[in-house]
Amino acid sequence: MGEVKVTTKTRRAPGARREAKKGPESARIAVVGIPASGKTTYFRFLAGHFGLNLPILYIPARTEGGQLPIFGDLENDVALEETTYETTDPTDPEGSLETTSRFYVNRPMEDRKKLWVELAAGREEQGVLTKYPLPTKFNQFIEMKMRFRYGAPDGEAGSKPMELQTIDEAGGIIADYFTYDRLWLESEAAEVTEKSCRVIPHYDSWRPDRRDLWRRGLTLLGRFVQSADAIILLLSPALPSLHDQAQQVNLARGVFRYVRTRNLPLVIAISKADKLKEFYTEVEQSVRERTYRSSFDTTDYILRRDGGGMGTILVAQEGRGISTKEDVFLISSAVSTGGGHPLLVGDQGEEAPAVGVPTMGVPVMVNTTLPLARACERVLERRATKGA
Amino acid sequence: MQDGTDSPPPPVSRERNVLVLDLSKSMLAPLPDTEPQQPERQKIEVARTAVFRILQDAGATGSLFGLVTFTETVRAPVPLGEIRKENLSYIENLISLLHPSGRSAIWDALAAGADMLRMGPRGVQGNLVLVTDGWDNASNRFAVNIPGQPPPPGGRVDLVTYMLPPQSALTLRVIGIGNGMERDKGVDGARIQELLNQMTRRAHELGLPAAFSFQEVTTGSALFVQMVNAFVDVGYEDDRPIEDLHPEELAQHAANAARALKEPQQHATVSRLKAGAASEPYSEAPDLEVDVLASATGVAPANLKERYGPLGEIVEAYLAGQFDVALGLVQRSVGVLPPVTRLYWEARVQFARRAIVEAARALLQAWNEVDKLPPSSQARILRRLALLQARMQNDKETETLVRFIDDTEHRLSGADPKIRDRLVDLFTKLMELRGTYQLTRIASGGDLQDAAVNHEAAVEQVFGQLQDARLDLASAGPVAEGALDFIEVCLAEMR
Repeated sequence: MGEVKVTTKTRRAPGARREAKKGPESARIAVVGIPASGKTTYFRFLAGHFGLNLPILYIPARTEGGQLPIFGDLENDVALEETTYETTDPTDPEGSLETTSRFYVNRPMEDRKKLWVELAAGREEQGVLTKYPLPTKFNQFIEMKMRFRYGAPDGEAGSKPMELQTIDEAGGIIADYFTYDRLWLESEAAEVTEKSCRVIPHYDSWRPDRRDLWRRGLTLLGRFVQSADAIILLLSPALPSLHDQAQQVNLARGVFRYVRTRNLPLVIAISKADKLKEFYTEVEQSVRERTYRSSFDTTDYILRRDGGGMGTILVAQEGRGISTKEDVFLISSAVSTGGGHPLLVGDQGEEAPAVGVPTMGVPVMVNTTLPLARACERVLERRATKGA
Repeated sequence: MQDGTDSPPPPVSRERNVLVLDLSKSMLAPLPDTEPQQPERQKIEVARTAVFRILQDAGATGSLFGLVTFTETVRAPVPLGEIRKENLSYIENLISLLHPSGRSAIWDALAAGADMLRMGPRGVQGNLVLVTDGWDNASNRFAVNIPGQPPPPGGRVDLVTYMLPPQSALTLRVIGIGNGMERDKGVDGARIQELLNQMTRRAHELGLPAAFSFQEVTTGSALFVQMVNAFVDVGYEDDRPIEDLHPEELAQHAANAARALKEPQQHATVSRLKAGAASEPYSEAPDLEVDVLASATGVAPANLKERYGPLGEIVEAYLAGQFDVALGLVQRSVGVLPPVTRLYWEARVQFARRAIVEAARALLQAWNEVDKLPPSSQARILRRLALLQARMQNDKETETLVRFIDDTEHRLSGADPKIRDRLVDLFTKLMELRGTYQLTRIASGGDLQDAAVNHEAAVEQVFGQLQDARLDLASAGPVAEGALDFIEVCLAEMR
């Protein structure tokens, strides 16, 4: 079994390849969402999952036993690659950028808990596991690429290499790109122009280095979504700020428009679903009682009771590229016990105590792999149709 | 036509106004007021005050303004041009130095005013207002032929033909001071009326619009009202300028405003609003100028009485907290103030006195009066009424929406008309989204999906227009940007 470990260029595992290139047959799936919608968690926890084979809860429980054909890509030792683009000198009118790459590699694991703690510490340093999102940074963005495989290795067609991509810590680059269709690129070589950036509110009043960074980020994002085979849209259901709510709604509308005009498969993941009280009640019960079979109706909850805060918009999209029954999921990648600590459960499903002697436990993830598997499924369906 | 085609010339892009003011000696005579305790003021004093007011408006709106004065000599102290704020005090000083003397060359002065508005082959284009208290007794170039009376001396040019050549689009409004039944006691109403009749006939012969009117006034207040037909309002003490809002507060305001659009039953006032004056029918009813004075500090603006006559007194008493005095003044102003102005102020004062029923009754009558106004005056007055109604009903959402639209339009009043029209159009489109949104609330099953699809398509269309406006108005300034931000958040909230 392949494992995952945090490393950097200087701490590279022996034998790790320097560059992890996307193979020609890899399918690309872009993950998009506003700041603090759960992109980082989604990438890091999934990467951890591939290496550690951690349990996933499915609400309601999946009849087929919860198996999904998603695996870490052991042919490529880099599971997760993060490249930070940063303005080093804000006063530099040329707006030079420095890039730094970090690689998370597959590596044999000796102590599951130790490894998990190591990952969690990495996230906590960045505040990802904390309850509140990071303050928006305007001097950097991070390109994230995660490699995995989809499909049973011993199946008829074998497994397929897949690549998940996003731009992280971008303070809204993704939201801006999809919200304003005047920014959209039409080819992988095109560039977002300074002129078209003026569609972004108050763009002209920004510092030159931030404007430049933003334009580059938009270009990078525009290019990789241009070549994407599918998109996963992460929506956060509990945004305290009205600005964030508006940003998310505008992003969602833009993404719907984008996939429609390009005929791309779209899968929606309503992240941080533990914030949806009614849903979380079911999660809690499922954690404590493994035999509990929830009758929770996700579609009804999202559409009829506006559980994601986007009922009308999702209703409008039903049948126009998405099916709310099959392509919209409630997920929670890092169920929290509060105060930024993940909910850990033991092998028997009991909650690990937060105080006293540390107990072995694994973090609870709810439905996290479902959107990814569905996106892969739709990409392969589309390819098969095209091939036919 | 110069180009040999029959297509009409493009309309004049900016409003062109010329005031022809009588400075004959009789303008020094006092003019009684309706209020017995009010000191009599000279006609020239009242006229000067009104001219200051008109100048200020021209400075704020960017319209073109010119002034012609006459005794036995005709002069043009302010040639037709844009009134710039920095030149305003200079022009006002100039007007304060105008001193009446001598006789009246009314016809020659009108001809000079028409010359100021003349645009070559397009004839006379613009609005002419004549203020006089006398009879023509000094013109030596122009004359009006009166049937049954001796013809004017030879060599005089017929004023009607001169003022109204083909292709013209002239509005002439005559304000006559005093009762002219007796010579030298007031305006020569008979001759003025004959002039207007002849102009109307000629306009019909040439197929031109005929917008010529004559009003006699006998008191200082009435003169003021005729010269400045106004609807004046003052802001509320808790008003905060848009530019003072934190972005999150702006978003909060927009979200509140969107609620007013989404819940029509709870915010019925919104359905009475009109966002702009586009594609409205032509009306000959005089425009009502709308002024909103800031009173955030609770201090009355200076010279209210001088600037707004009897309405200024009402506002002054209101701002001083003397609501009973203000109400008495409102009730005595019947016939002096435009009905919508009077009824609005009655409602406002009654509301301040906590007489809610009386306030509601007066406001209801004011709503009815708005329909009688020319469409160009309606939009802003409707918003002022809606604001008061929202206050009375403690409807914060409607209040926020109305305030934002009103403030934005007001701040853009001096801006490029294209920018203003574009934003007004966006606000209109935003308001129209109420309809598609409502359908998503009442539909079910397959109809719900159709309604949701239609609503989303409508939102996307407006959002596309918003993006284009962002790109085109990138350097239009903070007011335009604030309006676009507001609309953007509202659009996001319309889900």
